[in-house]
Amino acid sequence: MSVATAKPVSQDARVLSYAGALLETMDAALASHPDVFIMGQGVDDFKGIFGSTTGLAEKYGAARVFDVPLMEEGMTGVAIGAALVGDYPITTHIRADFSFLAMNQIINLAAKYRYMFGGLMSCPMLIRIVVGRSWGQGAQHSQSPQATFAHYPGLTVIMPSSSQAILDMYPAIINRHPGPVISIEHRLLYNLDFTVSPSDKRVPLTSYVAREGSDVTVVATSVMVLEALRAAQYVQDEAGISAEIVDLNSISHPDWDLVAASLAKTGRLVIVDTSWLEYGVAAEVCRQLVVRDPRLLRQPPSMLGMAPAPCPTAKSLEDIYYPSQHETVDAILTQVKGQGHGIALPVERSMTEGYKRFRGPF
Amino acid sequence: MKDEAIYRRLFRTALLIRLVEERIIALYPSDKIQSPVHLSIGQEAVAVGVCDGLRPDDLVFATYRSHGFYIAKGGRLDAMFAELYGRKGGISGGKAGSMHLTAPEVGLMGSSAVVASTIPHAVGAALSFKRRGSTRLAVAVFGDGATEEGVYHESLNFAALMKTPVLFLCEDNGLAVHSHRPARQAYRLSDHAASFGIATRRVEEGWDAMAVRQATLEAAARVRAGEPFVLEIVTSRYKEHVGVGEDFHFNYRTKDGVDAWKGRDPLIVDTRLVEALKPELEREIAAAVAFAEASPAPGRTELLTDVI
Repeated sequence: MSVATAKPVSQDARVLSYAGALLETMDAALASHPDVFIMGQGVDDFKGIFGSTTGLAEKYGAARVFDVPLMEEGMTGVAIGAALVGDYPITTHIRADFSFLAMNQIINLAAKYRYMFGGLMSCPMLIRIVVGRSWGQGAQHSQSPQATFAHYPGLTVIMPSSSQAILDMYPAIINRHPGPVISIEHRLLYNLDFTVSPSDKRVPLTSYVAREGSDVTVVATSVMVLEALRAAQYVQDEAGISAEIVDLNSISHPDWDLVAASLAKTGRLVIVDTSWLEYGVAAEVCRQLVVRDPRLLRQPPSMLGMAPAPCPTAKSLEDIYYPSQHETVDAILTQVKGQGHGIALPVERSMTEGYKRFRGPF
Repeated sequence: MKDEAIYRRLFRTALLIRLVEERIIALYPSDKIQSPVHLSIGQEAVAVGVCDGLRPDDLVFATYRSHGFYIAKGGRLDAMFAELYGRKGGISGGKAGSMHLTAPEVGLMGSSAVVASTIPHAVGAALSFKRRGSTRLAVAVFGDGATEEGVYHESLNFAALMKTPVLFLCEDNGLAVHSHRPARQAYRLSDHAASFGIATRRVEEGWDAMAVRQATLEAAARVRAGEPFVLEIVTSRYKEHVGVGEDFHFNYRTKDGVDAWKGRDPLIVDTRLVEALKPELEREIAAAVAFAEASPAPGRTELLTDVI
């Protein structure tokens, strides 16, 4: 499926998949910065982290793009050590769940070094982790740890939701951002085609408005931004509702002014996140708004995230575990029209059925 | 004569470390140092011998027990005392304290309070040196307890696979807090390292900075040739794990073992050289303490600096 961008794009627009955007940015980083190197389990194999590093080992050599043993903590520590002497390491985890094995280095070391040493040390690096969803990913291939990582000062956590987001953010981060960055990529996005434009830079390293609207604000993350955009189109067509979509984009450094300004306009809030609601993005969005001015919310907000359980494998359970297009549309309609709005919901119940090009087995 | 000059140089630095830590002990009841301190008294010869056997541009990645390595690598003494005091003049403006000493300007690349956590950092720096064709090397400093952590195994395996110029330096004081090694390790360090094809050398005379220096020089030559190496130095922690006191009365270890070590400790035995060097070193320490005392405390302005 092709996802239309909200703004008109310039004449040099082209179609580029999420994986293609990743590959382009990895390639460009290696080409333009001799200190950049990429390591991770499988970065040099024939699958190349779902096509995002394919061919780079051949192009730049094994000293700059290389496989590692199964050593998530060790690899992250190696990256820190290299960063401390001026390299810019990029590490990968084909599932976010595996990054938990590197938590000690990420949280106790990388996040702390700049502050703990009074600015004398820093470890700029990019940690790419991929969230799995659908085709029975199950409890340990499905977690989306944005709230976990964003909780710790010293980490920058982003969730690019499109090829454009990658093209715009990665070059601004790699070898430029002074600290460790965790980019939470989404497996469902990898094979999707997006329209991108090199001359229409618009994804900053913080939140941005992905679609302008006036009736309700939908704050979304990662693949749920696409779901929110689809839902916004539906409620526009079926009920004439104008939904504004805010892509939170940077989980650690969101633009709360932008979110509050949207709420000041709409007064109604839906939050759709890729993870659990408890102590998560949804909770933080509400905290920020309530502390700023409780009157920004005219009514209680709606929040959609994963069900409060580990992820089940069975498709019948997985389909109801994640927020669906059906539920996203319903939440928006209910915010604007109230309970019992009477407007027909989209027939499709399984969000992943909308991503037909994703077949697994990954 | 040349050896005598080297001995005197090593002795001087080792004595400085001991006198610094004895000053910390003296100051501690005043609560001017409000930071946990892990003293290296008894282990000074390791830091001194190792750092003297390195090139100045070689890097050391250290632990929470690193007063010795900070001084031996050439870190500023006044900035160290100010750091322990939690003052703005501290090397890290008071945000690090005793457990996180760093001095990147002289190649001490941070120290961590999480056991074994800086070992892979040395491997990463060494990997970078290798890619750049540099002849520098990186030293991972850790205690015998750290070898029980998984990341030690990961680091050795990766270093061996990639042939990184890293020296794994184990300060073996036989204790992990209060636990003795036989209760903790079902392996022999040298056998474990050998399974990765990594050579090991164990120096039993950890009180002798000259022996440590010589072993380091020889190990460093092999490491620079592209071969990771594990150098084990047996040593003795005279004081409690953390704090400024002794802990023999808890009966988890005997005083006899430490006393036997003290009987060979040049900083105790060579009283002539201690007396000759002490006045000058005490003046140096007094100046550093005065610097710390005069340095202002950080405040709200500094609370959130260096957070990205």
